[in-house]
Amino acid sequence: MTQSAARDPQYDRLLGYRRPDATYDELLDEQDRPRAHWQTFIDTFAGLTPREHAARAHRIDRQVRETGLVHDIFADPDRELAQWRLNLTPFVISASEWRWLERALDQRARLAAALLRDIYGSQRLMREGALPASMIFADPAFLRACQGIEPSDGLLQFCAFDIARGPDGNWRIIDTHAETPAGIGYAVANRVMLADVSDDLFTACGARRIATHFRQLQDALLSRNGQGDPAMAVLTPGPDHDDYFSHAYLARYLGVHLVEGGDLRVIGDHVYLKTLEGLKPVDGLIRCIEGARSDPLELDPGAFDGPVGLLNACRKTPTLCSNAIGTAIIENRGLGGYLPHLCRKLLGEDLMLCDAPRWWLGDSCARGHVDGRLDDMIIRRVREGTGRPGQAERGLLVSELPASERQTLLQDFAMRSAGLVAELPVGFGTMPRFGANGLEPQSVALRLFVGATKDGFNVMPGGVALAVDSSSAVALSASSGETHDVWVLADEPEKPHISLWSAQHYTARIDRAQRSLQSRVADNLFWLGRYLERADWTMRVIRSALTLRSQTHFGSSASIEAAEICLRLLLDKRVAGGSSKATFDNGAGVSPLAMALAANRDGPYSLQTSFAGIYRVASLTRDRLSHEAWRTLSIFQASERWHKLLDGGNASELKNEIEDKLAAIATFGGHMAESMTRNYGWSFLDMGRRLERAYNLSDALNALFANPKTSEVDAERLKYVLELADSFITYRSRYRVEPRLPLVLDLLLMDEANPRSIAYQIVRLSEHLTVLPLSNDGNNLPIERRTALELQTSVRLANADDLGGCVEDGVRRRLSSLLSRLVTELPRLSDAISRRYFRLADERPHRVSTRGGAG
Amino acid sequence: MIYEIVHRTAYRYSAPVSQSQHLIHLAPRDMPRQTIHRHSLLIEPAPNTRTDRIDAFGNPVSILEIENEHFELVMHARSAVEVTARAELALDIGMPWEQLRSSVTQPRNCVDLDAAQYAVASPATIASQDIFAYAQASFTTDRPALAAVWDLTRRIYTDFTFDAAATDVATPVSQVFARRRGVCQDFAHLALTCCRAFGMPVRYVSGYLVTRPPEGTKKLQGADASHAWVSLWTPDTGWVDFDPTNNLIPDLEHIAFAVGREYRDIAPITGILVGGGHHIVDVGVDVIPIVV
Repeated sequence: MTQSAARDPQYDRLLGYRRPDATYDELLDEQDRPRAHWQTFIDTFAGLTPREHAARAHRIDRQVRETGLVHDIFADPDRELAQWRLNLTPFVISASEWRWLERALDQRARLAAALLRDIYGSQRLMREGALPASMIFADPAFLRACQGIEPSDGLLQFCAFDIARGPDGNWRIIDTHAETPAGIGYAVANRVMLADVSDDLFTACGARRIATHFRQLQDALLSRNGQGDPAMAVLTPGPDHDDYFSHAYLARYLGVHLVEGGDLRVIGDHVYLKTLEGLKPVDGLIRCIEGARSDPLELDPGAFDGPVGLLNACRKTPTLCSNAIGTAIIENRGLGGYLPHLCRKLLGEDLMLCDAPRWWLGDSCARGHVDGRLDDMIIRRVREGTGRPGQAERGLLVSELPASERQTLLQDFAMRSAGLVAELPVGFGTMPRFGANGLEPQSVALRLFVGATKDGFNVMPGGVALAVDSSSAVALSASSGETHDVWVLADEPEKPHISLWSAQHYTARIDRAQRSLQSRVADNLFWLGRYLERADWTMRVIRSALTLRSQTHFGSSASIEAAEICLRLLLDKRVAGGSSKATFDNGAGVSPLAMALAANRDGPYSLQTSFAGIYRVASLTRDRLSHEAWRTLSIFQASERWHKLLDGGNASELKNEIEDKLAAIATFGGHMAESMTRNYGWSFLDMGRRLERAYNLSDALNALFANPKTSEVDAERLKYVLELADSFITYRSRYRVEPRLPLVLDLLLMDEANPRSIAYQIVRLSEHLTVLPLSNDGNNLPIERRTALELQTSVRLANADDLGGCVEDGVRRRLSSLLSRLVTELPRLSDAISRRYFRLADERPHRVSTRGGAG
Repeated sequence: MIYEIVHRTAYRYSAPVSQSQHLIHLAPRDMPRQTIHRHSLLIEPAPNTRTDRIDAFGNPVSILEIENEHFELVMHARSAVEVTARAELALDIGMPWEQLRSSVTQPRNCVDLDAAQYAVASPATIASQDIFAYAQASFTTDRPALAAVWDLTRRIYTDFTFDAAATDVATPVSQVFARRRGVCQDFAHLALTCCRAFGMPVRYVSGYLVTRPPEGTKKLQGADASHAWVSLWTPDTGWVDFDPTNNLIPDLEHIAFAVGREYRDIAPITGILVGGGHHIVDVGVDVIPIVV
């Protein structure tokens, strides 16, 4: 491209992109020519049709939504969290610039590791005054109890750096993350999504893949935690944490357990996982919990994110946690000014990549430098929580403070100077983002990730580019939540890649034994099954009522009455101890009842409750579900549209919505049947469904047929219940006659070959209970197996003709007693399963503190 | 002076404890004026594992783990400690506090880390503006650090009232300051907060105080108590103790067990249980002079 190129074609080629003044622009050089490493991308991208652009943007939005990235489901809804968004354009880095960045970040990681070794080891640097002792001692992230815990291969396995390019084109570090593998899951997720949508561009540009990096990390983690096949887990604070998505994604990508503090227990020097089979040893933890919150016995006494006694276990096995506990100290922003000297001292090298200009206020020399030019400065704390990229606090712009607050600030300097830094705002470079008007400039910073491998540190060739507020911030405060993938161009074509999704992470040997299942996860999967089936049943009841209402020729009064009975049965269910019972006039019609069942927020069988349950439990077990399965279930997330639909009370729209959701459940059932390994997790999920299905059908049959009605009414009810139980076609294919009670009972209650029958559910339950661990309780059958066997036997021994007959005092005695028994015993069976398998999950340690006679 | 110190703690739980882990600071440490002659710790039921180590502040610490179900836990610590008298102190001379602050908090100096680590606020000793202002009256220009801290000790003794009902183990120092009431732990924390707001290297000392029964009465068994006071470091004197609860500079009647930044660093017994329900605790301390 030459300068003489006409303005308009240029404009077209760049989709309207213009370079802002006075910043470094990634795409265009000072002569407004695209930089060489962007050429392929921009040519290919601009070559796509507008329709294709729109289609890709739409697909990527959908992917973000369906992956569950879009928001933190468990986060306080009142908290304004920026929505995660991924833009179509990547941040492109040339091979030569990357070589420099790689060397610079490797140096920073080596420096950080050397500093940590000193801080938690001999503390020579502090003693000699090279590292300010009071900065370290005043920082709550310095964990004294960790002193002397020195893994032979260092304390640091993961770190990340936020870097920004100033107007001069030079990079600066604006924050260091060394507590946990902060946000690395987001980088992987962004890559997977963008590569899916724009694989052609990715390939055309010759961008590097990140799977190799992860395989090296995996190898390193496995080899530092023992020989052979060590049991590894990602330790997360749980779904309430901002970065939970990233933790779950990382666990899945690395193929290891995702565990919470409550899943673990320390006995002696060893960490164990609470599983269905009892306690299983854990060899290594990828620590995604804050160091200070990782052991209530020796660290923050109120924080149970890690198991009690973890620190002492680390003393015995220093490589147990990656990163080691205490590494967050290196994030202290005050360190920046001392790093050039420390780098020469520790590594004998000049620091390649410096921090943004910052002064630690605990240093009186630095204070002297700052006091004179306070109006140019931003005052920030030396640290803040880690986690989700883009959530850094903004800091205090001194020039904007009113005089009174300025006074307070100066007093704060006197008392809290060790916890504060003053910094000069640095500029941010710009890159193109794809928006409504084509390409437009956007200020960005990058988060790049470094991991320890067997051959030293390795910088992941990729990362996250974050839209930033160019005016106010130094650290990553992203108001828009928009991100870009980072593409690092390869010097030479890469070797064919093997994605980790299919890779074997240790020497392969045939091993069909399943990974042990945490008691907590088993509990959640069991409830996922129950909620799914409950929602399925409730929707069928609502749908049948709405259909009858609209098809008056079909909707005889008897079948409408049957629908009403089933609706009321579900509406009247109360949570144990629940109170107020909504009342509905008789004869109000089925529509209001159906709408109420859909819209109620309380009853355990209301759709709202079941949907919320599905979404919550599915999110909790996200690391156990395939991507497709999770995507199928994400439809149950409460949406504005759904609420509007309920408020509007439009029956046919509700029906449409129900059809979609029934289809989703059927799809999920397909995933379960076809794609899930038959492991314990599957057993619990399936048991939940079987139990709920047997219960609902028993309950409905009992309500409809315990008392005999006229033969016309019974006939309508039989037709109704066959529809409801999705067995009408089976009945028709078997019998050429109108539904009769004994035949229907045989099909729905006793036929072990009909997957909708009660007998089928109970047989499956029994089978699951037989293969689960702990299924033999000495010489006696455990209670849950005995209950299942009793129910199975009584259903098998029943005789359809007897059940249909035997009327005494207007009641079908035998039918009613069998169904009542099922309705009473099935919930007890559920409780028995909980007690046996989920008990370990309930054991929560607690703290005792006493003041022993203080003087 | 040699003392025999017996510290007995018994927990009784309303429900069985299935697992317990305890971190305990019940063993005395050697100090410049203090020699340990004997120490034993008896635990019932016997722990499955016991790890003895020295913590980050130089105190002996034990980590105990009991895996057997139990309803009761008894810890019985006995120690014999010899205390020697302190040297005469000249409070009005010595390093001014500003110079001491600079020497322990500023980079580029060679620092005694054992002192410097105590010169910054810890979680329970973060000063508010009020406390800062209160302390300022003691830290006047060029005053020797020892004199400033002694002045502060006396002011706390005068301005605050001993009241065991006013606070509990977790009462924040700001509340102690607002109510002007508390016990030894609270006064120690307040003194530390004031001193650290001015960059003084001061530490929390937990130990025991010899109590004397009123003239003519017999001393009751178990009537003695744990005590807490503070200690200031200067390069010329090393660590010098101050007791704001009793308005004195400790000598032969204070026996130190552990030092830290604050109570939580060296709480005698910290336990985390699975199970246990409610518990009651019974603590008895005896400090008996065995050589007079």
